[in-house]
Amino acid sequence: MSDTNTSTIRRSSARVKETPEQRARKQKIQLTAGIVVAVLLILLGLYIQTQNPKGAYIWMIGLGFGYTLQRSRFCFTASMRDPILTGSTDLTKAVIIALALASIGYMALQMKLTGVDLSNLGTENLKDVSKLPGHVRAVGVHTVIGGFIFGIGAVISGGCASGTFMRMGEGFVQQWIAIIFFIAGSVIGMVLMPIVQASPILYQKNPVYLPQLLGGWVPAIIVQFGLLFALYVLADWYGKKKAGEL
Amino acid sequence: MDEKKKYPFHEKYFKKEWSYATGSVLLAMLALALVIVTGGSWGVTGPLGMWGGKFLELIGINADSWKAYNGSLATYNFWKDQTAITDLGIVLGAFLSVLLATQFKIKKIKSMKNVWAAVLGGLLMGIGARLALGCNIGAFFTALPAFSLNGWVFWISIFTGAAVGSQLLKKYFM
Amino acid sequence: MAEQTLDCLGEACPVPLIKTQKALEKMAVGDVLIVDIDHSCAMKNVPDWARSVGYNVEIEEVAEGEWNIIIEKTK
Repeated sequence: MSDTNTSTIRRSSARVKETPEQRARKQKIQLTAGIVVAVLLILLGLYIQTQNPKGAYIWMIGLGFGYTLQRSRFCFTASMRDPILTGSTDLTKAVIIALALASIGYMALQMKLTGVDLSNLGTENLKDVSKLPGHVRAVGVHTVIGGFIFGIGAVISGGCASGTFMRMGEGFVQQWIAIIFFIAGSVIGMVLMPIVQASPILYQKNPVYLPQLLGGWVPAIIVQFGLLFALYVLADWYGKKKAGEL
Repeated sequence: MDEKKKYPFHEKYFKKEWSYATGSVLLAMLALALVIVTGGSWGVTGPLGMWGGKFLELIGINADSWKAYNGSLATYNFWKDQTAITDLGIVLGAFLSVLLATQFKIKKIKSMKNVWAAVLGGLLMGIGARLALGCNIGAFFTALPAFSLNGWVFWISIFTGAAVGSQLLKKYFM
Repeated sequence: MAEQTLDCLGEACPVPLIKTQKALEKMAVGDVLIVDIDHSCAMKNVPDWARSVGYNVEIEEVAEGEWNIIIEKTK
């Protein structure tokens, strides 16, 4: 479609913004800058390693997150916003796939510690589920309220948490503004938290761990992957339906 | 289109965007690679409150005495904070990506609507992430796959919020 | 076979796609819409959507970080 040399769509000549010479020069500049930046990032990694025993590794993975998010145009915000706003569920499905793959990994990491029959849970080595790999954290009304307003904020500002950082790197001034207020909001949130945590209606401190809740790894695996699969099929059907309607 | 033929290697390996599926696989693998080696899962918003607190201290407000911080600002070290390192990594990793693809451009503010959207959106996300104990990564992407119920609850909540946000976006910020 | 341009430079994420959808609704079959964008999300989600409804789509990178998405309303 767009790989052919000659365009198949008849239109007036291309809206020329730059001459070919200008383009070539600008591209060479960016490419050279990219190589310089890459070298600097390696050097920065070496510095971070002197400050943190695992620093270079963490740095490498962080760069990987940023590079991957940008190159694949991955967007968590869009995965939740597009089904409603544009009828597209491509990213929704992509997020579900990512969740499923990550679930396989976390399942293995956790099962190794809990035991297949969860018998290690509650023993000396593993008293608390929140010590397991993963963010196994408290759930309650605070989660619902927090998620709800986070969702509003992410769609309005044009990017969620990871998306904001990614777009800062891409050069979006809007996200450079958003992060300032994201930080301000975080301070407000931190001040609110002790108050929220004191309310038994809004907050209860115990995480809810699916294998414990559902009575074992087998039901947890069936429910988790079953739900993800069902949601994938639903997203697929919905996306196709929306495209067909238009 | 001529450029694609002139520099096919650059086009293929540094410019052509990756599929969403590639993104899915890489993000999941990187997240797992992180937790396997460090024990700590990928998160994004944790440090933000600390950075804000540090700023307040800088301008003379003793935030560390607040219950929210409880002395934690005094011992906060950016480079010892895994999440802070990965946050910076996301910014610079994305920057490197666009530079190598020769697609970097500073996107300036087009209208005041964009500014208000950033202000309001940022505030809501900041408060929301603290309340939910995490964001789309820490309370979702590394919580749901960890078989934690808060991940599922957060997902439903953020979906609902996104629906409301979409209507607000159309009405006020477009 | 009318040709219309849509300037979406500086627009945040879903806006280019929404504006594109609205513009195409009003156009006749055979018309061509050229969308000017500088958002990396849009250079993927706009063509993806247009192809999913069966239109002819081409993407041209016209400057660093700027694309023209050319959509022919084929039905």
